Amino acid sequence: MSEAIYSADTKKKAFAADGVEILFFTIGDKTYGVEIEFVKEIISIEQITVVPKIPDYIKGVINIRGKVVPVISVRKRFGMEEIPYDDRTCIIVLEFENGEQVGIIVDRVQEVVVVDKTIISKTPDCKNVNSNRYIKSIINSEDNIKLLLDCTKLIMN
Amino acid sequence: MAKFEAGMESMVDMFIFESTSLLEQLDQILMKTENESGFSSEEINEIFRTMHTIKGSSAMMGLDNMSKLAHSIEDMFYIIREENPVISDMRSLYDLVFNASDLLKAEIELIQEEEYTPTDFSDAMNKIKAFAAALKNGGSAPAADAAPAASAPAASSAPSAAAQPQASAGHELTTVKIIFDDDCKMENLRALLVVNKIAEDCDKLEYIPADIENNPDTAKDIIENGFIVKFKPSCDMDIDSILNLIGETSNVKSYEVLEMGAVIELTGTINVKVTFEEECKMENLRALIVVNNIKDSCTKLTYEPADIENNSAAAQTIIDNGFMLHFEANDPKAVIRTIHSSPNVKRCEILSSGTSAPAPQAAAPTQAAAPAANTGAQAASKAAAPAAAEKKSVEQINNMLGNKGSGAKQSLISVNLHKLDTLLDLVGEIVITEAMVTSNPDLKGLRLDNFQKSARQLRKLNSELQDTVMSIRMVPISGAFNKMTRIVRDMKVKLNKDVDLIFEGEETEVDKSIIDQLNDPLMHMVRNSMDHGIEDNVEDRIARGKPAKGKITLSAYNSSNEVIIVIADDGAGIDTRRVLEKAEKNGLLTKPMSEYTDKEIFNMIMLPGFSTNEQVTEYSGRGVGMDVVRKNIEKIGGSVSVDSKWGEGSAFTIKIPLSLSIVDGMEVSVGQSIFTIPINSIRESFKVKPNQLVKDTDGKEMIMIRSECFPLIRLYETYDLTPGTSDLYEGIVILVEAEGKCACIFADELIGEQQVVVKPFSSLLNNFNVKQHGMAGCSILGDGSITIILDIGNIISDF
Repeated sequence: MSEAIYSADTKKKAFAADGVEILFFTIGDKTYGVEIEFVKEIISIEQITVVPKIPDYIKGVINIRGKVVPVISVRKRFGMEEIPYDDRTCIIVLEFENGEQVGIIVDRVQEVVVVDKTIISKTPDCKNVNSNRYIKSIINSEDNIKLLLDCTKLIMN
Repeated sequence: MAKFEAGMESMVDMFIFESTSLLEQLDQILMKTENESGFSSEEINEIFRTMHTIKGSSAMMGLDNMSKLAHSIEDMFYIIREENPVISDMRSLYDLVFNASDLLKAEIELIQEEEYTPTDFSDAMNKIKAFAAALKNGGSAPAADAAPAASAPAASSAPSAAAQPQASAGHELTTVKIIFDDDCKMENLRALLVVNKIAEDCDKLEYIPADIENNPDTAKDIIENGFIVKFKPSCDMDIDSILNLIGETSNVKSYEVLEMGAVIELTGTINVKVTFEEECKMENLRALIVVNNIKDSCTKLTYEPADIENNSAAAQTIIDNGFMLHFEANDPKAVIRTIHSSPNVKRCEILSSGTSAPAPQAAAPTQAAAPAANTGAQAASKAAAPAAAEKKSVEQINNMLGNKGSGAKQSLISVNLHKLDTLLDLVGEIVITEAMVTSNPDLKGLRLDNFQKSARQLRKLNSELQDTVMSIRMVPISGAFNKMTRIVRDMKVKLNKDVDLIFEGEETEVDKSIIDQLNDPLMHMVRNSMDHGIEDNVEDRIARGKPAKGKITLSAYNSSNEVIIVIADDGAGIDTRRVLEKAEKNGLLTKPMSEYTDKEIFNMIMLPGFSTNEQVTEYSGRGVGMDVVRKNIEKIGGSVSVDSKWGEGSAFTIKIPLSLSIVDGMEVSVGQSIFTIPINSIRESFKVKPNQLVKDTDGKEMIMIRSECFPLIRLYETYDLTPGTSDLYEGIVILVEAEGKCACIFADELIGEQQVVVKPFSSLLNNFNVKQHGMAGCSILGDGSITIILDIGNIISDF
């Protein structure tokens, strides 16, 4: 069974009054984030069962305590080179409103931070930039720029 | 949802559920008795009770029209029950009751809509009343055992008074002497009519002679001495209006007021005793509703028992002693009217008024929060419910309603489907765990005779458990089919097409959760068949040598682990040319037109945004139908296919798994992957010998078994996997069969047989049509790994 490094259930909080709780993770040298309310749990990478005849960014399905959950490689989804999984590779299990769960494979998980709403800016409305709409908004923190992903767009084809 | 009084909304669900199932029960009784052409007394009672409950609960919901309609039927069956009249016209009786049941059902549907205006049922009610009246006259003519009917509420209040005329009633009663027309005959029964007429509006009612109901001799007495009635009008009536009622009664020649009763002055604290209808259940909550209704118009309000809100035992106290209200109000009459019109209130009786309030009142406000464990007599009083308490009380009512659905009637219980789902999941887990234990790698190579014995026993019990749980969830498909009758009948009229709807195999049982998902697709397809399938012109049909009357067949049957439902019509069939043209116009083609097979073309009508019918009709033609049908069916793990012959008709075949749960499977491995092939589609498995392999001109492989040739499907090729072996003679070949077609499947090796619990793919994967590619779902094996369950039918047709 998968070992839950960090279960979002217990620590999930509503939005802080003027901030958004975001889980940050890295792919290569870039930092991305997803809103904590979508995060069900984070597990370490495990055996993935291949499902034939589906797009290659869906790596297959995993068994999370009796539930069969599809997993998506974020690298593949973003058209990046895939790297071998190591002990920092994680699957972030996202849960959507309809109860559906999808795992996303990320290089490593960083931290959960309450981000002040004032430093979150929208993406430009332009069809050549961010055309697939994976990026929901841009977080302009002191040290670097982080991208907040739109979970729904991420799993939609 | 229609607007209901505050506090009622939470009950709407329960009301809808309860009434719907009651009406279904009613229909079943009616259907059964109609065939047997007669009611047993039990069935009459059942109908009577059903209507009584609906009457009560719809009145509680404020749905007066439904309540009244139910009331009229209740009255009619009261007559049938009490008088046992010879019903000559059974036909119209059934029509009336069926019609009423339909109306009530339709109304229940309506109240779930956003905009709701009560339907006027007066037409139906008048008919029922007329019929009831006819029954009554027919039944009471032979005066010997005459027991003329009273309306139900009257019957329940009158006899008690009739049985023991109380002398003590004293001055509060008005005494009237009634003289009937000379020679009108059966005076005792006429007297009873008077009694019935006023009974509902009187709190107390006595009469002399008392036994008019079953003693014809009293007629003489009445002729000689007149009929003496003593009454106390109920709180919302006054003496004069009762007198008017008496005067209006037929055959009453005259009446004479012998003694005028005292009129109670409504001042100061008024004490009222409220009685609820029998069998209305949860009297404490009904009492709470009364309290909530009047508390705003009262300046002071206490009641006993005081703990109605959180003590359901108070209900019994209320039944035994009545519900006592003590209040002061600026407009006491209005308050009494409100009490009287509150749901399920049968009577409200003014006990006394004035300043002589009962003792507990003094203590009122302080005891509001007292833990009123003692019910009834020792009345802890409560101050007029503070606004904050109202919200809580609604929750309480809700809770109690939730706990209530365990009536032991007919040894049936209604269970939340969700609980059954959980149970089934658990059984599934047990089955897996059993496999985990009995085929545990630690046991390998050990000789464990006793263990094996117990393991076998466990397996046997588990499979029984599984069967039982499954059978709980199985319901015949006839329910879903029967709904179609109505649709076809309505459309027949609207579209002016004459069509027979034929059922086959409607007793086939399907998992309840599947049936629920099946209604919409079935409806769409039947509508489609009616609208597009059956020809508009009868001449077209006759020209093709078909009978003028169209035919739509709904059939269901079991095939291995699936239920197959076919919706077939003998209409025009699908015009492949038009479908192709339309598909081209909508940009749905992906290859040259000529390359499409008929089957592919038929399947196009299930693509999103496709509709060959130019005209959007009321029933179909928006081009969403078949697309949605396919989605819905796939959601429950099924598939839809279309077959059609131009000029002869079309058939839509829905294949759905018998249940969504457990299959016996054979596990095979292909490289890293493990696939499960349902046992019932396997014919045999074997190693191929070189002389069995046949190749066609393109080099496509076939396997020859006992002089029959079957195509060879290499799973690793179809699914782009890295195989453990690609050597045909090293791996294993499984001969599979589905839908009459056979094929050989090549895999690395057989792992073993196991029961697996089917878990549907998440919708993310379903979006990529994995079903079409032969993957029915997945399952978790004993060691936690995932296996993909193959759908042999789709593999063969996809190959």
